[in-house]
Amino acid sequence: MLFPTLAFAVFFLFVYLVSWSLDRENGRRKLFLLLASWFFYAQWDWRFVGLLIASAVLNWAVAALIVRSDREKRRKLWVGLGVAANLTILGFFKYYGFFVEQAVDLLAQFGWERDLPLLQVVLPVGISFFTFQGVSYVVDVYRGKTAPAESLLDVMLLMSFFPHLVAGPIVRASDLLPQFARVPRLTREMATHGLLLIVWGLFKKTVIASELATRLVDPVFFDPSAYGAVDIAAAVYAYAVQIYCDFSAYSDMAIGIAALLGYSFPRNFDQPYRAASMQAFWRRWHISLSSWLRDYLYVPLGGGRKGLWSSCLNVMITMLLGGLWHGAAWTFVAWGALHGGAQVVERLGRAVVKDRKVIPTWLGVLITFHVVCLGWILFRAETFDLAMQMLAGLGRFEAFSLVTPFVLVLIVGGLAMHWLPPRAVEGLAERLKTAPSPTLGVLIGAAILLVEAMRPEGVAPFIYFQF
Amino acid sequence: MSDPTDPIDPFPTQAHPPVSPFPPLDEPAAGDPPSDWIGGADAHDLPTRENALIALGRFAFPPAPALDEEGEASRARRWTSQTLFVACAFLLVFNAGSVQNWARQQPPGWAQSTIDRLATVWIEQLTLLGADQPIQGLREVWHEAQATRFDGRRSAA
Repeated sequence: MLFPTLAFAVFFLFVYLVSWSLDRENGRRKLFLLLASWFFYAQWDWRFVGLLIASAVLNWAVAALIVRSDREKRRKLWVGLGVAANLTILGFFKYYGFFVEQAVDLLAQFGWERDLPLLQVVLPVGISFFTFQGVSYVVDVYRGKTAPAESLLDVMLLMSFFPHLVAGPIVRASDLLPQFARVPRLTREMATHGLLLIVWGLFKKTVIASELATRLVDPVFFDPSAYGAVDIAAAVYAYAVQIYCDFSAYSDMAIGIAALLGYSFPRNFDQPYRAASMQAFWRRWHISLSSWLRDYLYVPLGGGRKGLWSSCLNVMITMLLGGLWHGAAWTFVAWGALHGGAQVVERLGRAVVKDRKVIPTWLGVLITFHVVCLGWILFRAETFDLAMQMLAGLGRFEAFSLVTPFVLVLIVGGLAMHWLPPRAVEGLAERLKTAPSPTLGVLIGAAILLVEAMRPEGVAPFIYFQF
Repeated sequence: MSDPTDPIDPFPTQAHPPVSPFPPLDEPAAGDPPSDWIGGADAHDLPTRENALIALGRFAFPPAPALDEEGEASRARRWTSQTLFVACAFLLVFNAGSVQNWARQQPPGWAQSTIDRLATVWIEQLTLLGADQPIQGLREVWHEAQATRFDGRRSAA
C-alpha cells in the first residue's frame, strides 16, 4: 500500500476517524494505531509482521534489562548484545546473500570452489529503518538520553508506526515516546502544515519523480551506450532531482500524515542541493540517517576527538558503512567511499586554509552538487560496468533524443525548488490556518485534482523502499 | 552685530536678563486640575469608534468564552475533519474516475463489482453536469506540454 494511492487514502481516512474518536483513552488509541500499522505492513508481506513484533520485543526486553542492571559491566553487556542482535537480524535479511556470494568468489580465486548454502532471502520492507530505530532506542536508554518506554505497547508502536515504518524518517525514541505518553493535541497549524506537506509530497513524487524516471532516467541508465553526452548528462541531473523528489516526498507525506494524527516527526530534508560543502550536504540530506550515523557510529568511533587524521578515518568508515546500509552491492560501497573521500579532502583543506574563505559560496554549491551527481551515477547504476559506461558516455557527443522542453522544465523546476524560502510550506500553513474549513478543503481538493491531472498512470514504489 | 538687548541674540552681552513682556501675576493662579495622563498607555490603545454593524453583530452573536486547551484541540479536530470532508467531496465530484480506475484494478468479487457499478453510474451522472471537464482540460494541456520537442515537432506520445 503506497502513500499516493486511493487504497491508502481510504485506509488513512479510516485510521484518522477512529483514532480521534478514541481520544479519551490513550491506551486504546495506541493499540488501534499499532493494529493499523501492522495491517499496513501486512499489505506487503504478512509474514514479516512477526519479525516486526519480535524486533520490538527484543529491544523492549534489552532496554528493561539495562535499566534493571546496577553494574556498569552488565549494562554494557546488555547494550552490546542488543545492538548485536539488531545487526544480526539486519545482516541476515539484507546481507546474507551478498556476503555468501563474495565468499564463493573469494574461495574460487584460491582454486577452492565450494557451493555454500545460498538462500533466497526476501528483504522485508523497511528493515533498515526499524532496525536502526531499535538500535537507537537501546543505546539511548543505556546512555540515559531517553527514559525506557512505559510499556511494550509504546516500543511496538515506536517501531511499527505506519507513517515512518517503511522508509523513515528514523524517528528516535526520545522524539516519539514522550508524545505517546498522552493523547496528542491537534492544532490548526499542525493540520494545515500536514495537509500541505501531503499535497506537496504527492506533487514531487507522482509528477516530477515519476515523469523523470520513465522519460529519461530509466532508459538511459538501462543502456547508456545507446545515448550521447547530452542525454546522459541530463539523465544524471534528472536522477539527482528524481531521488530528491522521491525520497523527500515520502518524508514529507510521512510527516504530514503523522501531523494529522497529532504526532510530530523531525524534518528529514533541508534543501540539500544548496549545500556548499559535502559536510553541509549531509546536514541537509536524509537528516535522520546522517544524525543517526553521527551519534551511533562516528562519535563512538572517536569522532574528531583524537585529531585530524583520526577524524578523517572515522568519517571514511562511517560513510563506507552508510553506503553499505543503502544496499548490499559494491556500487553502494563505492558511493559511500566517494562521499567519505570528499569529506576527508574537505577536512584536510580546512585544516590548511583555517578560517580563510578560498572558494566563493556559489562555486562551493556547484562543486558539491557535481560531486553528489557523480555519486548518484554509482548509486543508480546496477553494476560498475554500467556506471563506467555512463561516465564514458559523457564524452560522446551525439544528437540527443530524450531531452525535451518538458523534461528540462522538470529538471530545472526540481532544482529551483531548493531556492524557495527555507520554510515556505510552514509559512504558507501559517497563512492558511485561519481560513474557513470549506475554503481550505476546496483548495486542498483542487491542488490534488491538479496533481491527478498531471500524474502518469500507476505509481512506482519509492526508491528507498528497497533499503 | 545685533542689538545687545535683543532676546534672540545667542550670545547676549548684557549681564541681566531682559525684562519679560509677561510679568508674573500678583495673585497665584489656581492649581492645575488632576492629570488623567496614563504613563503606560499607547495612543493606539485609545478607543476608536466602532463600526455600527460590527457592534450590532457582536450584540446579536456574542463571542464564545475563551476555550481551554481541550476545547481548542477539539475545535481544531473538528475544523480539520471538515476540511478533509470538503476535500474528499470535491474530489468525488471532480475526480470521480479515480474510484472507477481503482475498483477495476482490484481482484474481482462482490465488493469490487459493486464499487465499479456505483462508480460507473456516478461518473455518468456527473459527466452530464460537466464535472469531468476541469480534469480533462488540465490533462490535455499537460499532454500537449509533454509532447513538445525542441525542433517544434510534437512527439507521438
